[in-house]
Amino acid sequence: MNGTQKAKKWFKPLFEFDETEPVKKIKKNIPKANESQKERVQVSSYQNNNTISNASCKSWIKNFDPVNVEDLAVHNKKVQEVEGWVKCACMSNFSDILLLSGPVGSGKTATVYTLATKHGIKVTEWITPLDIEMPSEYGDYQIRESQSKKFLDFIINAANFTSLLDNNNKKLVLVEDFPNVFLRTPTEFTDILLQYKHRAKSPIVFICSETHTDNKNSAFHLFTPALKEQFNISHITFNSISTTGLKCALKRAVDIISKKFTSMYNIPSPALVDSVVNSSGGDVRSAILNLHFASLKGSQMDMETSVIQEKEVKSNKSKRKKNPSSKFMSLGKDQTVSILHGVGRVLNPKTATSEDGKTHLTHSPKDVIEQFLSHPSSFISFLEENYLSHFSCPSDVEMAASALSDGDYMLAEWREKTCQEYGLYTAVAGLMVANKAPISAWNPVRGPKNMRIQYPSLKEMPQLDKDYLYKGKVLVADYSTYCKIIGHKIENSPSVLLID
Amino acid sequence: MSLWVDKHRPKDLLKLDYHKDQAIRLKSLVQQSDFPHLLVYGPSGAGKKTRIMCLLRELYGSGAERLRQETMHFTTPSNKKIEIMTVSSNYHIEVNPTDVGIYDRVVIMDLVKNVAQTHQIDSSGQREFKVVILNEVDDLTKDAQHALRRTMEKYVATCRLILLANSISRVIPAIRSRCLTIRVPAPTEDEICSVLHTVCKKEGLSLPPELATRIAKISDRNLRRALLMCEACKVQQYPFKPDQKVPEPDWQLFIKETASMILSEQSPKKLSEVRQKLYELIIHGVPPDMIFAGLLKELVRNCDMAMKCQVASHAAMFEHRMRLGNKAIFHLEAFVAKFMAIYKKFVEESLGDAF
Repeated sequence: MNGTQKAKKWFKPLFEFDETEPVKKIKKNIPKANESQKERVQVSSYQNNNTISNASCKSWIKNFDPVNVEDLAVHNKKVQEVEGWVKCACMSNFSDILLLSGPVGSGKTATVYTLATKHGIKVTEWITPLDIEMPSEYGDYQIRESQSKKFLDFIINAANFTSLLDNNNKKLVLVEDFPNVFLRTPTEFTDILLQYKHRAKSPIVFICSETHTDNKNSAFHLFTPALKEQFNISHITFNSISTTGLKCALKRAVDIISKKFTSMYNIPSPALVDSVVNSSGGDVRSAILNLHFASLKGSQMDMETSVIQEKEVKSNKSKRKKNPSSKFMSLGKDQTVSILHGVGRVLNPKTATSEDGKTHLTHSPKDVIEQFLSHPSSFISFLEENYLSHFSCPSDVEMAASALSDGDYMLAEWREKTCQEYGLYTAVAGLMVANKAPISAWNPVRGPKNMRIQYPSLKEMPQLDKDYLYKGKVLVADYSTYCKIIGHKIENSPSVLLID
Repeated sequence: MSLWVDKHRPKDLLKLDYHKDQAIRLKSLVQQSDFPHLLVYGPSGAGKKTRIMCLLRELYGSGAERLRQETMHFTTPSNKKIEIMTVSSNYHIEVNPTDVGIYDRVVIMDLVKNVAQTHQIDSSGQREFKVVILNEVDDLTKDAQHALRRTMEKYVATCRLILLANSISRVIPAIRSRCLTIRVPAPTEDEICSVLHTVCKKEGLSLPPELATRIAKISDRNLRRALLMCEACKVQQYPFKPDQKVPEPDWQLFIKETASMILSEQSPKKLSEVRQKLYELIIHGVPPDMIFAGLLKELVRNCDMAMKCQVASHAAMFEHRMRLGNKAIFHLEAFVAKFMAIYKKFVEESLGDAF
């Protein structure tokens, strides 16, 4: 339903009214919204204007949307940076370009919308239409204009023409959803930017989400440094939301709940808010979703229990322990550790002493391994390359080196899957336990060496028989030294040749 | 101008300088119409390849000596293009499958298949089979060795395999049992001396016997190395002097340097310097087992008897691990770290005794 609505919307954006405004991509909320049965009755009447935030709003996540700039969980400085650009760009009436990038749920879109509302700027967002081929009356498929053409038309029209019902002449075009065409052929994107730069009279904002694993990272794929230079694109990078920022945002959400929605939610306890913060990993959108789910007032019994169970999981997680199997692990984000972070944890082991006098590692080797995503052998290579500078005593090094050797030996057995885990565990645990007096200095992490063997080429040794197959090892072990001596002397003293 | 080592390589089985009894047996082996697959093994520089080339000449006549170099191309199942250098005559083809690393299986299967599927055009008066020579069979992956086993049986009618290896302990038993295994032991020092004398005589040079024995000793009973040393000596200084300096291979000097680094200081910092040296050796293609042997030899010189035993047993353990593992540097480094720990303890104890 939402899809077709969107698909229609972009067709004639010039004559649309306010409807374009609430088109925020909130796909997740659609199934969830159905859960709140109370609203359903009221929702059935079609509502045009979603911006009124009340309990009967279909899209409940809007309830918690930031209204003022102060409500944003994003760091203040960042907001000011974006605000400065927006003000400047809207004044000048030129087609300035801004690129916002950052991890998912770091409030990029929210910042733009909030600032636009503050300054009375009308935001028009491009949403890539679904490709539904409609047969004509003769039954054949029409040849439609290309995606990139549509995109260009849309952004230029949106930038230049004001809606009839809206006498506001400050406009901003927002692109978050890149047409697939550009991922395949980035050059086409350059053409479009060129056209836009010439013809449009409003600023445009591109928003790119970054992920660690995505190799088709649109921010880097499309917006190459050269392109940024060419079109003078300003680039503002967002970081994931800090814990304090998240706490503020959730506090505000809790306030809203206690004021307006007591019929719908239980008022969340501070402990619950804390666990939501812990499990969201700096993603404000997912934090709100989790809060919604955790504090829903359930009339049914099973809902109630599930919330309790979920609380348990979360409070466990906040102590960085894994609960083996729980359905509600799917809530919140799993903790993942990047490779450098993991290397740091292993090489700088921190110990804590518990009440009974036993010392244990703060990050147990098992957790480090489980939170780790890359291939065991590459992780071990990283460890091997970097561990020496963290050790102070030769006897510790000896233990660590033998652990690494053991680990490599186990990793070589690729037929047994468990061997990989054991190998990694042996190496990681060995390194962590062996390092009794770690040196804490700043050591940049180096990547593992490329160990590709380079045998000497036959060209270096002209004396060799051309039609004889020499083995690389033999060339290194025997020939290379002596060929150098023999060849060198011949070059220097041609008289030797005469003797021969 | 080619090196002495290549120039004076014997071309006939009966002209070999040592292991003459074996040569006669080999000759009678090929005089029969047929012979089994061969697995020739022995240390480096013992004359395995020389014997094989003589054998081929015996089989096919001088046609087997007209060699040409060719680069063959293969495609792996994962669609990676690999190429490998081969040397072939009309009757045989020689290849180092280990040059392509983990893709050696593809090379072996495709190459043997190619050779075996083409029959000899003119079979009258010729042998019905071609010969495929595979070098460094002990360094093949297990996968490739199993592939070899299957191809060996399948194409026995049209091709014979001659496998060369340094040691058969890493050749799978299935291959060992399908081949006639022939051991070529390293020549004794006396044999090397006599070869050196003959070669010098052919070159018209006079070699003092003292120098010959010294070269034979330093060469580690490796005839190829001995000949190269002798030629290098000649280039450096001729007429020869009995006490002339014999140049050692540069990687050996490098290992000696590394060993003295280890003995000079035992600390994590030093270890990381040693590691750079080891990296350099490995990247330049010095086989890790030779690094192990060289290091051990240098290190145990400064140890007392009890410690020697300890160090050697650790070296053996880590070398074994290295064979089974993937990354040689891990195990080399572990050995060095172990030695450092033992040595440091030893030094501290002996210092304690002194006071």
